[in-house]
Amino acid sequence: MDLRLLTFLMEFVSSFISLLVGYYALKGYKEFSIKGLFFLYLGFIILGIGTFLRVFSATYFVILLRALEPAPHLRSLINLAGLIYTLTQLIAYSLFTATYILQAKALGERSLELGLVSAVLFPIYGLFFNPSLELIAIVMLGFIAVHSFNNWILKRSSGSALVFLGFGFMFLSHLLFLFMIMEPVFLFFGQVIQLAGFLCLLAMLARVSRVHA
Amino acid sequence: MPREHKEYRSKARIYVDILASIMKHGGKSRPTRILYGANLSHDRLMKHLGQLIELELVEEQKQDDAVIYKLTDKGRKFLIEFIKIEKFAEAFGITI
Repeated sequence: MDLRLLTFLMEFVSSFISLLVGYYALKGYKEFSIKGLFFLYLGFIILGIGTFLRVFSATYFVILLRALEPAPHLRSLINLAGLIYTLTQLIAYSLFTATYILQAKALGERSLELGLVSAVLFPIYGLFFNPSLELIAIVMLGFIAVHSFNNWILKRSSGSALVFLGFGFMFLSHLLFLFMIMEPVFLFFGQVIQLAGFLCLLAMLARVSRVHA
Repeated sequence: MPREHKEYRSKARIYVDILASIMKHGGKSRPTRILYGANLSHDRLMKHLGQLIELELVEEQKQDDAVIYKLTDKGRKFLIEFIKIEKFAEAFGITI
């Protein structure tokens, strides 16, 4: 399978899971008016839409760049799409951070051809990459991962463990994205780790949905 | 499900504690049992039970000259849905 297609597919699955988690949080907020779930809903929906738009725009640019010479206006359009995606990610992570801050207040406290990966992925995703904003995302995700770890230590439930793993993997994936400047293959590894994080969230969703009378 | 609360309990939480208390006694229960299970005063329990009847989550029945409260299907579904959402929220560290 084309590795670029595989990367797009992984991001698409991640965005779908993100939207699913967001929908579940919205359901909880609407039925029981739980304020914390509103931030989770907004965060996951924004993250899901942002990721989906990146998959869509990246696919579109691949097609455009094949058909046309990379004109200056096209490059600025790509940069704009990249900036929008990163900003949606930061907004989503800020909302997750706000969820944990509010809660703390309430409580009183694969086998790969590496060269090929570099050749086919970096030209597109490199254009989306902004190291400064990536650093901000890492700091926020680090904060979120630490809080989800604390929650797991307190609750010791499989759901909280899966959420910790989910955010932990997302944190790791952004660290790997940062190393993309040196070695583009880190992008692919980052995407795999990010997908693993979203799959953990999906597993958590499957577990909590299995409650019977 | 019912638990000790020093902090403020949301209305949804109180409803769930009442419904869970009825569920624990096989789906129907006398007010005294619910009162202990949901940790409420008699007046507050009767007020909330009235609201639960209006919402069709609970129905009142007479049995041997005593009043009992029975969980409806809607009430059972509400309770299950709440437990799911509670587990989901707790996984993210959100306390309901």
